[in-house]
Amino acid sequence: MIADKKTAKNGRIRVAVDAMGGDYAPEEIVKGALLAARKDDLEVFLVGATDVLNQKLAENGSTNGSRIHLVAAGESIDENESPVDVIRRKPNCSVAVAARMVKSGEADALLSAGSSGAAAISAIQYIGMLDGVYRPAIVGSLGSFAPNTVMVDLGANVDCKPHQFVAFAIAGSVYAKRFLNIADPKIALLSTGNEERKGSEAVHEAYSMLKNSGLNFIGNIEGGDILSGKANVIVCDGFVGNVVLKFYESIGGHAQSWTEQKLKKYPPLRALVRLMFRELFPATKISRGAEKNGGGLLWGVDGVVKIAHGASRAPQIASAIESAKESVKAGVVESMKSELAKFNQGGKS
Amino acid sequence: MTVEEQVREIVARITRVDKGIITRQSTFKEIKADSLDIVQALVAVEETFGIEIPDEEAQKFQNFGDFVSYVENQVARKGKA
Repeated sequence: MIADKKTAKNGRIRVAVDAMGGDYAPEEIVKGALLAARKDDLEVFLVGATDVLNQKLAENGSTNGSRIHLVAAGESIDENESPVDVIRRKPNCSVAVAARMVKSGEADALLSAGSSGAAAISAIQYIGMLDGVYRPAIVGSLGSFAPNTVMVDLGANVDCKPHQFVAFAIAGSVYAKRFLNIADPKIALLSTGNEERKGSEAVHEAYSMLKNSGLNFIGNIEGGDILSGKANVIVCDGFVGNVVLKFYESIGGHAQSWTEQKLKKYPPLRALVRLMFRELFPATKISRGAEKNGGGLLWGVDGVVKIAHGASRAPQIASAIESAKESVKAGVVESMKSELAKFNQGGKS
Repeated sequence: MTVEEQVREIVARITRVDKGIITRQSTFKEIKADSLDIVQALVAVEETFGIEIPDEEAQKFQNFGDFVSYVENQVARKGKA
């Protein structure tokens, strides 16, 4: 049963959830959907094997009803399958069906905790990209040490073409404006030096495109400047972004172990340090917002697409559904479209 | 527009490269097309010409020329049918 577009008229945001994707699917996805659907302003479409989903709903004391709907999809994509299979071999898998619901207007947003690659490819193929954007990107705030800085791409695009960096800059700018309230974000390219000629071939080309883009581009910055606050938007390819992300996330734990080790002979100080780290520094994580909200948004897609962590349990799934709803309400896609239109009209790059 | 020109347009649109640089000798690597670009191009070509390109045939394409030749043959066969 697929609801028609009229359901939007009741004012509820409709989130299509890939019920078969994720380490604990469909059990935790169903539970998460039930948690999320307690709120009045939301409807969840669980996409997957309806017989299994009906059973899971029944086990949790619920049924296919006014806020939870079931949509049939015969297949799912395993983590060890090629994500590209979603197009040629499994076009009716749960994530692809959910993506087509967004495209047709039957849903306002898509959430998947399954293969991120399959979700991204479904988004590209079945929802489509915004004008001027080649592939989706993941944007994340640096949080604690650099609260006014975001990085993009955090891992969606390992190999990038130069023009992608410009789209990343625009996505990062929209994020900084919408979520960090920065009026005119300063954009920098992450490289191995401040000079224009530093970095890979793609970075050189991206530098000149960004310089001529009309965006608030301040040039290259080095790794040592990431946390300095010099830039509000740091642009890099997904390979570099993901390495930096995971390194950054590990700093807190390593700093704590190292400090405790150094203070081994001073138990009171050691206890104080332990307390200090527990109370003050656990926030040493990049993308704290994304962690809290159970996943990241795919920027540049012509619809709200949220990717949750594969290991998400019901509370994280519920948060991710809620966050997808908030992204629809915040109009992130419309903001991105408007920034891209301004850029495209400028005819630069 | 010839089949070759149409296929070139599709490949250029998907890979975001200037169609002028795509010759029959160009490999997918040379035009920086990744596996997703290739699959998207296959699907777009299938939809445009109403033909099917089995994966086992697509895997034999060494360059853009092979791709175009296969599409030209399929379109011609379809025309005769």
